[in-house]
Amino acid sequence: MRKLLANRERRFNLLLTLGAVVLSVFFVLPLYWTSVFATRTLGEVFQFPPPLFYGDNIVQNFQNIADVYPPFRPIVNSLAVAVPKTILLVFVSALAGYGLSRYTRAPGHKTLLLVSFATLFFPPSLALIPFFLQMSWIGWLNTFWPLIVPAAASGFGVVWMYTYIGSTVPRELYEAAEMDGAKGLSTFFFVVIPIIRPGLAALAVWTLVETWNEFQVPLVILGASEKFTVPLALTSLSTTHYSDMPAVMLATLMGLVPVFILFSLLSRQFIAGLTSGAVK
Amino acid sequence: MSARSPIVANIRRNSALYIAVAPFLLLFLLFNIFPVMFSAYLGFNQWDGFGDLRFVGLENYIRALNDPIFRKALSNTIFLWFWSTALTVGLALALAVIVDSYVVFGRNYFRMVFLLPLLVAPSIAAIILRMFFTSNGGLVNMLTGAVTGTPTYFDWLGSEFWIKPLVVLLVIWRWTGWHMIIFLAGLQSIPRDLYEAARMDGVGRWAIFSRITVPLLLPALAFSIITATLGGVQMFDEPYVLTQGTGGTNNSATTLGMYLYATAFSQFNFGLGAAVSWYIFAGVVTLTLIYRAILNRSQSGVA
Repeated sequence: MRKLLANRERRFNLLLTLGAVVLSVFFVLPLYWTSVFATRTLGEVFQFPPPLFYGDNIVQNFQNIADVYPPFRPIVNSLAVAVPKTILLVFVSALAGYGLSRYTRAPGHKTLLLVSFATLFFPPSLALIPFFLQMSWIGWLNTFWPLIVPAAASGFGVVWMYTYIGSTVPRELYEAAEMDGAKGLSTFFFVVIPIIRPGLAALAVWTLVETWNEFQVPLVILGASEKFTVPLALTSLSTTHYSDMPAVMLATLMGLVPVFILFSLLSRQFIAGLTSGAVK
Repeated sequence: MSARSPIVANIRRNSALYIAVAPFLLLFLLFNIFPVMFSAYLGFNQWDGFGDLRFVGLENYIRALNDPIFRKALSNTIFLWFWSTALTVGLALALAVIVDSYVVFGRNYFRMVFLLPLLVAPSIAAIILRMFFTSNGGLVNMLTGAVTGTPTYFDWLGSEFWIKPLVVLLVIWRWTGWHMIIFLAGLQSIPRDLYEAARMDGVGRWAIFSRITVPLLLPALAFSIITATLGGVQMFDEPYVLTQGTGGTNNSATTLGMYLYATAFSQFNFGLGAAVSWYIFAGVVTLTLIYRAILNRSQSGVA
């Protein structure tokens, strides 16, 4: 009887596993097919049955993108936004997180902490219009600055660094540093930063991916196509060269590659970045 | 004199805190708080960005409510927010429980594979989906054509009925992995022997799920639902790119976010746009408060 039950349970588990496998195929298939289509000719893509494996038309497709814009330009633009923003955001967040987690008895600490947490619930759509107007007054429209400098203030980043530093840096270390006569900021640079490197990396990966994928704010800020980041360039290409599916798919693939490389190198940090928000 | 008072001394001693928090707060104040305050003012004015602002009181707020497209955008947003949140969170929860306690192989594979779509920008995911659902030679029409035997040229993206489910599909595809990882982290904090004990007592799988897993997972569930809601109510990228900025046939996929964008950046009616953004904000706040109330209630019920 017991054995029978165990058998039934095993079969049930196997069934669930197979179900999950089938589902996972549906999640990967669009990406796989994108990469296959990127290497095919227009005729092959519209064939039935559709091609399942890679073809040899990738050079021609690349040529077709090059007729519209320099194929690597959006990637360079996206890097020019994402890298400085990430460095700035991680630094600003770590600094604030350090202050908030160390000086818990300072006057006004509680208010500052509360304000930082409140910024998490700040909906970006509320600021979209006035932010655009503000940028036009400063003269920053059609430049990368609006996507770098203001975006460096991230409530998510601060709250995260605050919890991360609080859980990884032992308080005794601060006392020891104080005894050695180290001031607050030099303690941050020379003692805290070396300890929290994994946390900085995780926040950096997460920020890079988020920034790479951002659409609405760049859409509002960047008017000229030479400045387009990857999502903007692709959206525009897919509208104007709608019929050339292989070229659009190749451009899409090229825009995805940097993020996928980053993920394959730092997937653990990326996942750590995801779950940190839930474990408060 | 005052330098000797304890409060000032205390502030001095902790001055590093204020220096450390200053860059964040200054940037936030300058580029978030200040614009939002201006937006509150803008909502009561009519302005095209060039001439003088004209004070119109509540006119923008009333005009939005009377606009049939705004009302359509509101109902579209509610539809998209509800179904994308419910289906994504439901599927992710099921997958997380299956991967956590039932899967017989490939646990690490499942943890990774559902995350891959998260790396794809919503706008890019929409481009890919468009390719598959185009009427002429799209993959989906090809497959249905093969099944039925006659070539089909159904216009999925132009269909008033199908465009919203397609947006929901896009959200499910991109976000299920994210929610699953959140739930997996939450599931790990549930002690294993709790399950063992329940199983020993002959408690069924469904009862274990509904009586043990879900109640203990409530904080993670709340976090995930609130995050999905913040995104769902402000949804823009997916429907915008999927409909190439048009909102679909008869605005069948126009969201509040797209309505806001169109009023401000196509019609240059910044006052109306600002008013709409405050409606969206009100929606976000209301839903968050409702969730918190439900969460507090159910947690005090468990304890």
